[in-house]
Amino acid sequence: MSAHTLARLRIAVLLVVATVLQTALASDLRVAGVAPDLMVLVAVLAGLAGGSEAGAVVGFFSGLLMDMFLASTPLGLSALTYCVIGALIGTARASVMPERSLVVPVTAMLATAAAVLLFVAFGEILGQGQLLDAGGSWLIRVAVIEAAWNLVLSLPIGWLYSRAARGSVGSERFGMTLGLPRQRERLAGIR
Amino acid sequence: MAVYRRSSRTRYVVAVLVLAALTLVTIDARSNGSGVTADVRSKVQDVFSPLQRATHAVLRPIGDFLTGAVDYGSLKRENQRLRDQVASLERLRVQFAAEQAAAEQVLAERNLSFVGGIPTVTVQVIDDGSSNFETFITINKGADSGIASGQPVVAAGGLVGSIESVSAHTATVLLLTNPSYVVGVRLAGGNTGSVEGTGRGRSLNVSVITTNQPSPAMTKGEPVVTSGLNNEKFPPNIPVGKVLSAKTPPGASEPDITLTPLVNLNRLSYLQVLLWSPQ
Repeated sequence: MSAHTLARLRIAVLLVVATVLQTALASDLRVAGVAPDLMVLVAVLAGLAGGSEAGAVVGFFSGLLMDMFLASTPLGLSALTYCVIGALIGTARASVMPERSLVVPVTAMLATAAAVLLFVAFGEILGQGQLLDAGGSWLIRVAVIEAAWNLVLSLPIGWLYSRAARGSVGSERFGMTLGLPRQRERLAGIR
Repeated sequence: MAVYRRSSRTRYVVAVLVLAALTLVTIDARSNGSGVTADVRSKVQDVFSPLQRATHAVLRPIGDFLTGAVDYGSLKRENQRLRDQVASLERLRVQFAAEQAAAEQVLAERNLSFVGGIPTVTVQVIDDGSSNFETFITINKGADSGIASGQPVVAAGGLVGSIESVSAHTATVLLLTNPSYVVGVRLAGGNTGSVEGTGRGRSLNVSVITTNQPSPAMTKGEPVVTSGLNNEKFPPNIPVGKVLSAKTPPGASEPDITLTPLVNLNRLSYLQVLLWSPQ
């Protein structure tokens, strides 16, 4: 089995584990009624580590898994949102983001807030007006607290993602951001 | 700064995925919660439910610990408030015992079905709403345990919601805070009304339906229960909420009433499903 196939399998397992944690544990971690969203974090990390294609593919499947457990929004809405976010982060990573150690947590925070707004915007366009029923203040609260959660969670989950994605095409090109210092040095030497 | 060339393949993959997602949204929205997408959801939930149960059982203490750490200040105040309340209730207990006996006699005479033994199924929450825009939760029992769509779901404090959809081993509960949720209630002075959700973490709105003069004069903290009228989705006398505010705007004949749910919908664990359907 090639290194790329193994990396894909590890990412698939990571997605399943993230789904179980999201549905079984995340709701116990509510702060002011808002829970973290691990699935969007995985999509963002995929975009950061593997570029826009990996971000789109992983984002699509992480969103699709999330959609399986949502009863008030149609299947595919989270998949659409996370796919677009993953692709945009991958594109931004390749063109405008600097190589800085804080790029992962800061990007995770900003991208999560953007994903919340994008989810509601896509929902509104696709006839899911009930997402705005709770009011603008709830939307802002969700965006801010989810973003803060993912700022913190991006460090351990980013490390896990970089381990899972080791060997994939994307991570060879983009993996430095999420890798450990030693890994970064090795990759820098290869380049 | 890293600069990389975006290949046309990447654009193609992204476009295909976006189209696939839009197709799924369209199919699911048109099927109105039934059809092939609902079947797929149901099957996936059944596959994941053992993993969710096991993870929930193992990691719930960690979640409780973290929640306690985050809410330490409010928990301390809540603890003191509850201690005071227990002392006060203990004083009232003896006084109420005699009144309760009389009340039970009256209720038995009026044949209120909720007081009689409606069969129940005890269930555990395995998914307390995966998204922050959800007003649904998932429980660990489904059609195999006799649970069916529309049945009321209650907790120790009162009404939680009702069963929305059922798979073999799990079921989805629509919480009473959902904006589409409506339940008929009894108000003061022989009036009735309907309670509507306004979103997770928000209060409930009451619309007065039938009015006996004078219009309902509700006071803050007053409990409100289901009316159980003909064709209602719920049996009578299930506590729904307590009055948060009741003010009559200038020029209006009916008061604007808001309620707080009696059950803390952010911390649900074990619930009871009433195996009840409207006659």
